Amino acid sequence: MAEVHLSKVVKRYGSLEVVHGIDLEVAHNEFVVLVGPSGCGKSTTLRMIAGLEEISDGELKIGDRVVNSLPPRSRNISMVFQSYALYPHMTVRENLGFGLKIAGMKPEDIIPRVDEASAILGLEKFMDRLPANLSGGQRQRVAMGRAIVRHPDVFLFDEPLSNLDAKLRGQMRVEIKKLHQRVKTTVIYVTHDQVEAMTLADRIVIMRDGYVEQVGTPTDVFENPANTFVAGFIGSPPMNQLEGVVENGGARLTDGTLVQMPEDIASKLSDGAKVVIGFRPDAFAPKGHSLHPEDRSLEIALPVIISEPLGTETIIYTQLGGKEVQAKMLDPHPLQDGESLTFTLDLERLHVFDGETGKSMRA
Amino acid sequence: MLRLTLFVAMMILVVPGAWVVLTAFRPNVEVMARPPVWIPQQWTLNNFLGIFGFLPDRQQGLPVPSYFINSMVISLTSTFVAILVGMMGGYAFARYRFKGKGALFLSFMLSRTVPGVALSLPLFILWSKIGLIDTKFGLILVYMAINIPFTIWLTDGFFRQIPADLSEAAQIDGCTRWQAFWKVEFPLARSGLASAGIFAFLTAWNEFALASQLTRTTASKTMPVGLMDFTAQFTVDWTGMSAMAVLIIIPALILTFIVQKHLIAGLTFGGVKG
Amino acid sequence: MKFFRSPQATPYLLLMPAIIVILAVVLVPLLVSFWTSFTSYNLVRPDSLYNFVGLRNYKRLWGNEDFWWAFGRTVVFITIALNLEMLMGLGLALLVNRITWGQRTLRTIMMFPMMFSPILVGFQFKYLFNDSVGLVNNALFSLGLITKPIPWLVDGFLANFSIIVAEMWMSTSIFAILLMAGLLAMPKDPIEAAKVDGCNALQVFRHITLPFLMPFIWIAMTIRSLDVARAYDMVKIMTNGGPAGRTELIWTLMTRTGYQNSQMGMANAMGYVSILLSIAFTIMFYRNLSKARVFMGGAQ
Repeated sequence: MAEVHLSKVVKRYGSLEVVHGIDLEVAHNEFVVLVGPSGCGKSTTLRMIAGLEEISDGELKIGDRVVNSLPPRSRNISMVFQSYALYPHMTVRENLGFGLKIAGMKPEDIIPRVDEASAILGLEKFMDRLPANLSGGQRQRVAMGRAIVRHPDVFLFDEPLSNLDAKLRGQMRVEIKKLHQRVKTTVIYVTHDQVEAMTLADRIVIMRDGYVEQVGTPTDVFENPANTFVAGFIGSPPMNQLEGVVENGGARLTDGTLVQMPEDIASKLSDGAKVVIGFRPDAFAPKGHSLHPEDRSLEIALPVIISEPLGTETIIYTQLGGKEVQAKMLDPHPLQDGESLTFTLDLERLHVFDGETGKSMRA
Repeated sequence: MLRLTLFVAMMILVVPGAWVVLTAFRPNVEVMARPPVWIPQQWTLNNFLGIFGFLPDRQQGLPVPSYFINSMVISLTSTFVAILVGMMGGYAFARYRFKGKGALFLSFMLSRTVPGVALSLPLFILWSKIGLIDTKFGLILVYMAINIPFTIWLTDGFFRQIPADLSEAAQIDGCTRWQAFWKVEFPLARSGLASAGIFAFLTAWNEFALASQLTRTTASKTMPVGLMDFTAQFTVDWTGMSAMAVLIIIPALILTFIVQKHLIAGLTFGGVKG
Repeated sequence: MKFFRSPQATPYLLLMPAIIVILAVVLVPLLVSFWTSFTSYNLVRPDSLYNFVGLRNYKRLWGNEDFWWAFGRTVVFITIALNLEMLMGLGLALLVNRITWGQRTLRTIMMFPMMFSPILVGFQFKYLFNDSVGLVNNALFSLGLITKPIPWLVDGFLANFSIIVAEMWMSTSIFAILLMAGLLAMPKDPIEAAKVDGCNALQVFRHITLPFLMPFIWIAMTIRSLDVARAYDMVKIMTNGGPAGRTELIWTLMTRTGYQNSQMGMANAMGYVSILLSIAFTIMFYRNLSKARVFMGGAQ
């Protein structure tokens, strides 16, 4: 049983502050993903939870204990490293049993635990091999096995899939999810890949420059991004974002297009205010090829700059408000570059952000 | 043509040493013979027996056994301590960020550039004052100091080859930092450390400039200094000296073969990867 | 005191023993020798250690012809020896690299001179170059090339030549082995690209291989410059600076002045000059090494 509480956790290197007072509560058995671009402080935060980095300020609790000054070994956590960090001079069996051996457990007690972990991960055939003789995916499994044998309170993952190729990454993602269903434990998982975050997490923590930008369920952060950064980071292809000026309850874009904003938001804004409007490519499609009811849409004729057919859909690059924007065409037919199409923009799914702060106007 | 050049080059590398070895096993008359005797006609061990004092009719009953023991004791002790101290230093440089790191590393390397001969003058003065002249301990101290910088350079390279993740993983698995070092990092660096050790041993074993000034008697004289005993007399005893030379080479020969691979890797890694 | 128990203190604690040893055995003696070089210290008159004479020793050195000969000879010796060793080593490395069989054996043979201590190399060449029993003269006699012995170690010019030969025998393989490691680590793609771009063998060597090897050359130079003073051992046993000071290097002159003539003050002044000389060579090579590394695009 272990919740993890971070309150005002700060990391400084000398006078340089890289993590600025993070508050986070992770519930028992919850799967939380820290996501953000490289250098956002997510790995540093994880390493502070692990005890590999000193906490400069603030408080970290695992369960009921404040663990700030405890070394990693006393925190009852386990961790899967990006490089796997398997001990190259030990066989798979020794790798798995190392932590238990260090804890002073008797060999006859270690064996069933190691066997259990290897059965869960399908490692039985490789138990006497050295890590050098394993494939990337197998090494990854051993790293996870090493983490689960110890029955830790908290599981930490530091970009565990980034060294795998795309196909294997997809497979392992599913396996991690199954593993979590099976071995109920609190998980804190760091990645820079928003797809991993969306697919794995109970809750996502989006970080940038040492600050938490938003915490929420995958649906929540996707549907209601708190600011332009989150809006651009979550979702692929990314949300289109265009600058505009408020005029009569609409946003006038730089090319003169007027986009009508939802009532509740428009009422909060006065004319002349700067805003950023955002819409996902799914909410922007050629007429007759969209998901949304087209009667609530804005119709604009725009030229196709380039198109990328993906089979069930085609991504169209076009120009709006002085910027390149992407649209998603369902049930596509071949397109000519330069061809002019009528696009429909779903105004119900329009996001509006403050032009100065980038904060969502929904909140 | 290629093979011929190569053959000549290899001959040049091998023949001088081989000639000394041959001389060690031939009687003195063959050395002096004219025309020269190329291949020894009478193989003999008398030169070795002679320098160990087993042949009363030959006057060079030199205390070679004492020299040999001194050399061994001094080289082994100084190597052991230099490796221990150097390993700690190398680990600090490889694993920690701290103030003055660059300057400190440079200082260690600069201390290695001081020629042994130049260092022997003040050491002679100091060691005389504090009674370390002609003691094994005095020389052990000096060889430690000579070997520490190079050991630091080598071990720094070896430890940096081992990912820091491994020690962290071990700590998460329940090790203290100390346990993590001995159970994970040390076993992985072991072969590198062994070669650094052999390198340090050879440096001490072969050193002459300092030993020749800081030793006086059988209490501390080493093999290379002992070699000069043969030229102190008016004529040079070529066969005796060759026998002594063989005794100096044998340990060096064995050890160098053991480490050759690691040595090259260590030298180039430390340098090129920076 | 609290600092020593904090985690920040760990690296300093780890380095402490090394620092103490170096301070005691290198830095303190260097300070002593620095002080001594400003005194008239003579071994037979211990109290002269406190007789401060200012720059007198250095002034005398400045006007001492023997010293300048030894100094100049040392610089020329180092320059010639290191450059020849580098060229021969490069040649040997390229040669061995082109052979596909038995590279291991060849490399082992190349390690052979590295096992010899300098004093042994000196002895060995003293023996080979001996005018009456030496292998070199014997061989020349047998081939009928000479009729009377060549005085290798007695004639001034020949003695210097012999010493350089001995030095090269001792150290060429270090260059060869390090450069072979460089050749081994060299990626094949750029060479093939250059060939496709129309380079001939010489151009490939000049524009691809050599620039890649430069860092290795400078490492070898730097490592070698650290112990050029090993040549002292060799010269000591081969000629001991003779005949008539013709092979005197700064190192042999220094020990003669210090231990035989007991003029420790003067000898330490020379010692300082020799230390600066060594450091100068090392720094020169090290800077070239850093430059060559940058040139390689930091990929290393």
